[in-house]
Amino acid sequence: MSPPEGVHPDGAGAAKLVLALPKGRVMEESLQALRSSGLHLVARDQGRALRHDAGDAVVIEMRNADVPTYVELGVADAGIVGKDVLMEMGSQLAEPVDLGFSACRLSLIRPRGVRGTIERVATKYPRLTAAYLARVGSGAEVVKLTGNVELACLTGLADAVVDVVQTGDTLRDNDLDEVDVLAHSSARFVVNRASLKLRSERLRPLIEALRRLPGAR
Amino acid sequence: MSQAGLPDGTRFVLPDNAARRAELRAVLRELYQRWGYDLVELPSLERYDPEHPRASQSFKLADRDSGVLALRADFTPALAQLVRAAHPAVAGGARRALRYQYAGTIWHAIDPELARTREFTQVGIELIGVSNARADAELIHLARESVRAVGLDPRVEVGNPGFVRAAFEAAGVPPLLHDPVADAIDRKDRSDLARLLEPLDLPAASLAALLAIPDLYGGVDVLDQALASLPWPQTARELERLAGVLAEFEDASDLMLDLSMARRLSYYTGVTFRAYTPDFGQPLLGGGRYDGALLPAAAGFSLGLERLLRAVKQRRSASEPDPLVLALDDAGARALRAAGVRVLRSLEGDAAGARREARELGVPFLLSQGRLEAIDASGGEHDRLTELEALLQGVEGEAP
Repeated sequence: MSPPEGVHPDGAGAAKLVLALPKGRVMEESLQALRSSGLHLVARDQGRALRHDAGDAVVIEMRNADVPTYVELGVADAGIVGKDVLMEMGSQLAEPVDLGFSACRLSLIRPRGVRGTIERVATKYPRLTAAYLARVGSGAEVVKLTGNVELACLTGLADAVVDVVQTGDTLRDNDLDEVDVLAHSSARFVVNRASLKLRSERLRPLIEALRRLPGAR
Repeated sequence: MSQAGLPDGTRFVLPDNAARRAELRAVLRELYQRWGYDLVELPSLERYDPEHPRASQSFKLADRDSGVLALRADFTPALAQLVRAAHPAVAGGARRALRYQYAGTIWHAIDPELARTREFTQVGIELIGVSNARADAELIHLARESVRAVGLDPRVEVGNPGFVRAAFEAAGVPPLLHDPVADAIDRKDRSDLARLLEPLDLPAASLAALLAIPDLYGGVDVLDQALASLPWPQTARELERLAGVLAEFEDASDLMLDLSMARRLSYYTGVTFRAYTPDFGQPLLGGGRYDGALLPAAAGFSLGLERLLRAVKQRRSASEPDPLVLALDDAGARALRAAGVRVLRSLEGDAAGARREARELGVPFLLSQGRLEAIDASGGEHDRLTELEALLQGVEGEAP
């Protein structure tokens, strides 16, 4: 087995923090938050390595849904990921900071004006959806999709979907109604439990600084 | 060989790993033996009990009669049964220390997609019959020693779920909310915690005290912080209990505290602890005190061998002892083995065949009719050859 990322031969204290960050729009906001908290991080060259030494930390870039796994297994010391992903995974990671950005609702959505029993719900969040349906006593079937789930409603694949809603504009444009809110989500700073304890001299000041950012708690 | 035929979540352990696993088990067994923990064996089949804390994770089997059996998912219930059968007085509350160690396979019927392995090897100890600070400290000492014994640098963190429970009671958190609030505290998720607590209309001081719990981790000074932020006598008592355990250590500097450890709140009644090692992101062992759950006084911990092996391998690169000598000569082979050399018995009938065999296997020396020779004739192995010859002569020389 090759040594995991972030393990440096020169000892725990000297090694840089390894941060798992999601690709895409959240990446910019995440880097911004980390920089505002005192980390000196340089942007990687366009199209270069997925893992790069960014100055005060090593940044590894991945899909949103993979962040908890990297942090849980200690390949990354910490990361940033949406609460929706953590809830869907049933994650037990330490999540000491709610960063506040990427705020959204996880909602049950139906075509406008449609009433009656829901038979089938399409979603990217099958576990949360099944738990919700059980809670409200619905016997509806859950189908897992990975892409645009609104499409499932519009084409009749499902008579409802559970998906993230940020502003609600997309829903209005497509004649869809937000019928119920399952949960609220926002970006969280998650930390590997061993790192939180063994590298607290680096992580605790960072956590404190992140909490002081506007919108964070 | 294909793994297609194996049930989900099971696997072969090939020689390199099997040898290292056996080595780790031997090291730990020896350590616990020296501390007075007697080895016991426990059945792998148990009566299925829906109240068992891991009932939802157990593999169930139908017995011949109408009974339902479960493959053990945990050693603790079986060990408690052993104590009830063999030491009814202790099971009834008599104060007498029983120290046991165990090792073996456990099975968890979890979704193999999420956690691929469903068959684990667990090693652990239990200290039963005495519940005090010295007993708690003994287990924490041994948690530290366990990590040291396998060549890793231990970092043990100690918590006390009783502290969180006392805080709930003192602040008046309704029982229905205990689990979700404890979960948010354990995840150090102050945002969720606030969302759960704010609708309760608690006094501002109580709310502030509860919101402070997730950050109560660090060195021994955390005890003073906690005393300052939580104003209640109930929580102060739990902190005293923890301080009493720490006072049992001459050097508590490598111990860490985490007062927000709040998993399995209804099971653990006293201290809980986990051991880590630097640069390995997962705990190596975990345990705690669970008085009253299965026995009046009981505490213990367990280690997962698979994870321990990963941590050990990460630290030291593999260096498996390859067979050094291929032998046609049984008497000489016996002598070399007695001197600690790894000797493989040739399956060929003559020296020429054995030389070919040695080359194929990558074994550097051949022993035939009392004579050692290097397979590689370049002379590069000269020093090792001389050493082996000395061993062969030495052992033979001592024989009458």
